[in-house]
Amino acid sequence: MEDLSQHILDIAFNSLEAGATDLTITVREDTVANILAFGVLDNGRGITQNDIPKITDPFFTTKKHKRVGLGVPLLQEAVQRCGGNLEIKALPRKGTSVTAVFPHDHLDRAPLGDITGTLIALITGRQPVNLTYRHKYNNRNFLFNTRKLCIHLGAIPLQTPEVLVWLQNYLDENIANLRRETNEELGRTG
Amino acid sequence: MKSLAELDKLREKLRQEMNVREKDHDVTVTVSMGTCGIAAGAREIVKALLEEMKEQGLSRVALTQTSCAGLCQHEPLVEVNRGNEKITYINVDRDKAREIVKKHLVAGQVIKEWTTPERS
Repeated sequence: MEDLSQHILDIAFNSLEAGATDLTITVREDTVANILAFGVLDNGRGITQNDIPKITDPFFTTKKHKRVGLGVPLLQEAVQRCGGNLEIKALPRKGTSVTAVFPHDHLDRAPLGDITGTLIALITGRQPVNLTYRHKYNNRNFLFNTRKLCIHLGAIPLQTPEVLVWLQNYLDENIANLRRETNEELGRTG
Repeated sequence: MKSLAELDKLREKLRQEMNVREKDHDVTVTVSMGTCGIAAGAREIVKALLEEMKEQGLSRVALTQTSCAGLCQHEPLVEVNRGNEKITYINVDRDKAREIVKKHLVAGQVIKEWTTPERS
């Protein structure tokens, strides 16, 4: 995996395979507290308490057709490489939460990468999922939700290529805007 | 009562229309999105396929994903299903993905040399 957004895609794809219909992805960047954290929260069939310690073992998988499960071990490796923290929790009612926390400025922290591509790849496909994406960069927020978009689209399916290409540009622009420094922040007065 | 019955009718009509719409997809393109596929660049392939499908104005093609297909060494994999015909393209990159849309989906020509491993 080259970047963190690929890990996010991998973990979130597990959620879809676990039958999730609601998926929340959060990215929080705080350059003052030196934190980059992401979370994937789903309402899939969940993980048993017994399986949680095993999930970081690359030779553990619940899937019948294969003998390795590398997604979580690779993420753990990415976390450990820079002294971060990974937490996997079974949610009280149903579903799973995966949270990874990294030191923002660590040289070995993989870049966040193409988070838009991750979201588009999750939305593509015919399994309907209500995806919420929250990105906080210091004091700025971006929130995106597929349900709202679907209401806006009416009868036009979200999976239409034209819609997804539009969405790609929309997400790219909004996420880039989070990091764009204003003149005030740069200390310019005009 | 009348309005409820009307509502049922309407719901049934919408459901049938949706079934028709789903069947309307005569071609399904599937990208493998397991850990192996993602690490090999499956996400870029989805984007390239979408962009080219938009360029070509393809509306009767369903783009979907699947998990690890057990051919990890040949990822990224793109499978094209048309009726009973199933073609699997291996080691796909952005350029190949665009060509698959142009040649296979639009012109109906299978690109055979991309379906088997290259001999070294």
